[in-house]
Amino acid sequence: MNDLRAGFHGDLEEIRDAIVRLGATVIDLIPRVTAVLLEQDLEGAEYVILGDDEVDARATSIEERALSLLALQAPVAGDLRQVATALKISTEMERSADLCCNICKAARRIYGHELDPKLRGIIQKLSDQAQAEYRQALDAYASVDAARAAALPDIDSFLDDLHRQFIQQILESHAAGTIDLQVAVQLALVGRFYERLGDHSVNLANKVRYIATGWLPEHESRSNSGQPGTPSDS
Amino acid sequence: MSASPEPTSGRIDELVDQLRTAIVQVDPSGRIVLRNSAAERLRNSHSGYLIEEAIERHLERALTGIDSDETLEFFGPPKQVVVVHTSPLPGGGAVAIADDISERRRLDAMRTDFVANISHELKTPVGAMAVLADALVGEDDQETIQRLVGRMVFEAERAARTIDDLLQLTEIELGTEIEAVPLDAASLMQAAAERVRHSARERSVDVCMSESMSPITVVGEPRQLASAIGNLVENAVKYSEAGGRVDLSVERDASAVAFTVTDEGVGIPQREIERIFERFYRVDKARSRGTGGTGLGLAIVRHVATNHGGSVEVSSVEGEGSTFVLRIPNPQPADPTESANRSEQEVPST
Repeated sequence: MNDLRAGFHGDLEEIRDAIVRLGATVIDLIPRVTAVLLEQDLEGAEYVILGDDEVDARATSIEERALSLLALQAPVAGDLRQVATALKISTEMERSADLCCNICKAARRIYGHELDPKLRGIIQKLSDQAQAEYRQALDAYASVDAARAAALPDIDSFLDDLHRQFIQQILESHAAGTIDLQVAVQLALVGRFYERLGDHSVNLANKVRYIATGWLPEHESRSNSGQPGTPSDS
Repeated sequence: MSASPEPTSGRIDELVDQLRTAIVQVDPSGRIVLRNSAAERLRNSHSGYLIEEAIERHLERALTGIDSDETLEFFGPPKQVVVVHTSPLPGGGAVAIADDISERRRLDAMRTDFVANISHELKTPVGAMAVLADALVGEDDQETIQRLVGRMVFEAERAARTIDDLLQLTEIELGTEIEAVPLDAASLMQAAAERVRHSARERSVDVCMSESMSPITVVGEPRQLASAIGNLVENAVKYSEAGGRVDLSVERDASAVAFTVTDEGVGIPQREIERIFERFYRVDKARSRGTGGTGLGLAIVRHVATNHGGSVEVSSVEGEGSTFVLRIPNPQPADPTESANRSEQEVPST
């Protein structure tokens, strides 16, 4: 029986490692796709888009391993939360990689159009902030640090502010005639993609809190509206 | 009378642990039998997780008897290039080696670019002069002759400036003992501001110097410091948009005197920041050549900082501007009374 449990915890550890590695891939993708966008690197865009199948396969593999553990080992309490969240986190990360591909596709669409330094500066800031948030969330996951994870929503508000600034700058640049309407629309989408990357890192952080304490964001909204909803650790 | 040596395997393990290269060895069943400290440290970074993954993947291959290599490039920051090499071991099992070659790559790129850039910087004006001289032959129209000669003078001056800067850089790079003397730091900054006053006015750039409450003395080689600060202020004006502002300040803390130059110009893309102090490296080639710079200014600044035991730091956001801080360490006088009695020297005019 002990051997069986040791095998189970080894499997759980492998799933955690696979998630951390998938997250590390996203963390590396964010500055990579920003460079693709700012340097108009079509070859780099192709490389990232082709590599997305590999990311999808890894996310699917994590899901399959998590489902297999659920079926064969019937985990409970903290172990169950870990396995259940692996299913959701792998999807969050797969979606995050898709957003990076979307930035590359936008880079292709605006190929040949110069971006003014103000737009470039905010794009770089959006990228740095999205990457910093993802890094923070993944570190919290790797060390199961609920306190670190709890800081993510506040940190993400900075990315939301940057997103607003970016939209404002797009309008100003368009009004000044430095970018045409097609480029403005693509850039607005790009801003949204970075902002969504931040949202995914907040979701990842929420899952870390759930693993560590059983807390869910729904609990907070219920308690805020005066309804019962105490986080449980079982 | 020497102490008996430790068993060889123990010493080798210690040596392997000292290496910066990550080494992982597995037995024929794939069980890890050796993982040195560098390999253990991989789990401290996100790129490390991915290197570890590559090591595992290649070790599986090596256990089937196949050698393999993979070069992994990470965007960081900081950017990192790692080569993972695995091979089967004669006695069974396999070994993986992960070597960080980022610095080697950076130096290679620097060397290659330097050769290409220096040839461009020197050949362009010489080539232009040859073409202009050719155009002068048989030309009778005085206006055209004037224009061509003016252009030749411009190209000759450009080549001369590049050669002057190269000579100055070589002199600084030689790293000979500098003759440091106490100087008034604010005067150094003011002299630099004075030199760019004309070009700043032409470009409608406002150069503002914040005055310090008390005089600040910096100890350094007068010509080198004047050149370094001059280059920073000149660059700030050159890369400012019309109507922009350049702020200059001098401050002292416990360890150093800091000369800070802040502009509201175009800024520097993040990927370029680590390379801007290289000789002849230009961020925006068309624009920076148009400003008349030689591409050596920041290389001179960095070498002056190094020669004085100081540093130069830069922070920049595209579209918002850049801040350069040249830090020159405070002197450590052996005899404080001697230091107090030393008089400050005049700041050189160039």
